[in-house]
Amino acid sequence: MIRRINIFLICTSIVMLVGVYMLKFSIEGTAAERSSIQRQISEQEDDLTTLKADWAVLNQPAYVEPIVRRHQAELAIEQVQQKQFGSFADLPMRPAKPDTAAMDALFQAIDAGIDPIDAILELEGIE
Amino acid sequence: MTITADGMAPTISLDGVRKARGNLTQARIRWMILALVLGFGAVGGRLVQLGMVETDTTIEGQTRDAITATRPPIMDRNGLEMAVDIRVPSLYAEPRRIIDVEEAVTKLRTVLPEIDEAWLRNRLSGDKGFVWLKRELTPAVEEQVMRLGIPGIDFITESKRFYPAMNEASHILGSTNVDNQGIAGIERHMDTESVALLQELGLARGNALAPVELSVDMRVQHVMHDQLVDAMTRYQAIAAAGVMMDIYTGEIIALASLPDFNPNDPASALVKDTFNRITSGIFEPGSIFKTVTLAGALDSGSVRISDNFDARYGVRFGRYTISDFHGKNRILSLPEVYKYSSNIGTIRIMQAMGKENYRAFLSRMKFDQRVQFELPEMRVPTVPKEFSEVGAATASFGHGLSVSPLHMLTAYAAFVNGGNYISPTLYKRTLAEAEPLYERVIQPHTSEYMRYLMRLNAISVGGSGSQMNKAALGYRVGGKTGTAEKVVEGRYSSNKVTNFFASAFPLDNPRYAMVIMVDEPKAENPQSGTTAGWNAGTLTGRIVQRVAPMLGIAPDFDPLLDQQIVPREVRRVFPEGY
Repeated sequence: MIRRINIFLICTSIVMLVGVYMLKFSIEGTAAERSSIQRQISEQEDDLTTLKADWAVLNQPAYVEPIVRRHQAELAIEQVQQKQFGSFADLPMRPAKPDTAAMDALFQAIDAGIDPIDAILELEGIE
Repeated sequence: MTITADGMAPTISLDGVRKARGNLTQARIRWMILALVLGFGAVGGRLVQLGMVETDTTIEGQTRDAITATRPPIMDRNGLEMAVDIRVPSLYAEPRRIIDVEEAVTKLRTVLPEIDEAWLRNRLSGDKGFVWLKRELTPAVEEQVMRLGIPGIDFITESKRFYPAMNEASHILGSTNVDNQGIAGIERHMDTESVALLQELGLARGNALAPVELSVDMRVQHVMHDQLVDAMTRYQAIAAAGVMMDIYTGEIIALASLPDFNPNDPASALVKDTFNRITSGIFEPGSIFKTVTLAGALDSGSVRISDNFDARYGVRFGRYTISDFHGKNRILSLPEVYKYSSNIGTIRIMQAMGKENYRAFLSRMKFDQRVQFELPEMRVPTVPKEFSEVGAATASFGHGLSVSPLHMLTAYAAFVNGGNYISPTLYKRTLAEAEPLYERVIQPHTSEYMRYLMRLNAISVGGSGSQMNKAALGYRVGGKTGTAEKVVEGRYSSNKVTNFFASAFPLDNPRYAMVIMVDEPKAENPQSGTTAGWNAGTLTGRIVQRVAPMLGIAPDFDPLLDQQIVPREVRRVFPEGY
């Protein structure tokens, strides 16, 4: 009886030993994987800081202005002048009523085969 | 089992076999216990010993956390980065682990030839645990050094401060040293606030730190810097500086001083004359101080805006006579005194107020203490404790006392914002946060007079601000010129001058105040002069012309806007207003 129990216990302990060893090795593997991922994250974070710094440089007015100056002649751009500003208040209001008489005259002319745009184009010298 | 020997002498007693064996076993057990106690004692002792060992985690006296600690990014008011941290590798060595010093020296110098050989050899020998070899390298160099495979040589990632705007906001930002500690400007101020403590505790790591938002607008800052650089060459000046402030919140929108430095290279800040002229330079303000005199006198009620002052003859003090630069030699009304920048008229106005009252007003405007401001680079102004008759007279037009341009800016801001003194700040501040800090220095109606006078100076014929207004038409700018003669060999020199232009815009509903300074300018061309209107004035105009649209101020040529700020009392004297 005692012998059977002993054999059983020995078998159990061998199985458990193997199990523990396997667990240990798998954990070591996971730990290595974890630290390599951590290193990778840290490297990427480092790269990110550099990229952010680059981005900040590219956004600086001091960086943009020389580029604008370089292409000033080519793009025909100038410093904005005061007279170029307008406001919505300066826009003429929509006429209270559509000018139906003028519209009717226009449509009748088009129906009759005379397009007023031709006359305007001719006046402007555009064919 | 016992053997007894009868007849033998009773003194001889033999133990039984069992007993003898029992004794032997007991002795063995004792030895065994002793051996075990010794064995476990040794193990325990070693454990205690190991527990006592303190591993040195510091790097040349600093904790590792402090070295890798980051600083919060600094943003301008629109969220554009003004200072960021980049992580860079730094090379260090552990001399006690280096096997062959000579080999390490030769190999390292193939990658880093700029390191001195003798210094490196000395550095690598010995029994130290940690020495820096070269800090803040590039990832490419790191790669090359790692490929050499020298034992005992390794890299640590450090945080390094980077300023993407280079020189542009140098005096605002200041700089940091190699250990990422603020040594000047707002960086230093941040350290005294909280960042240093966080770094010490090792909490300042990663991107956990909330960005610091400044009140500065980088677009305006760029224009100001750009225009100041332009002015330096245009007028061949030795220095130029400018500062702009939101008059209601006290937020500094732009602050630049030339010559400046590159904060990415802190050594460039040590070059002579790169100090911040706005905060730590004190100057005789010249005629821009007349605004202060007029504001004080008008507010005290001792003069009215419609009063006249005799400017026909100079004011005599013993042997000295103070006269006018552009003498009109007639009786001037108060607005004319301001417009023609009459020294005589200003003295008469100050005398009507009384010199004690005038001195008290300067104290109320905080002209005899430092401006409360974040930048550590500040100087105490020199304003005499008490004025003599002649001292008060010269002080009324800005001579015989020295204040910083920042003092003038806060004074002008208070004059046009309705009469509330607000100390400037570099951090974002809302109107609701600013209002409890207001200190009333002049009455609102005096503030209305000042707005009118400043605008008058810009648009009226013969006003000293007309040069400025030409460039900034439609933006309703107004201000005062100041040409302060410098003291050369004990006397005032007329060809070495410091020029100022203090202004505010748009004056129908003012929002921003600005002070521009040009030091020792020369005439731009033979037709122009060296007085402030020609350089500091036009410079102000050009800056406003560019920044006003950015600040949401649209040009408006409606003459009604100027007419509506003319006080009623003035209408009685000048019906047309200007």
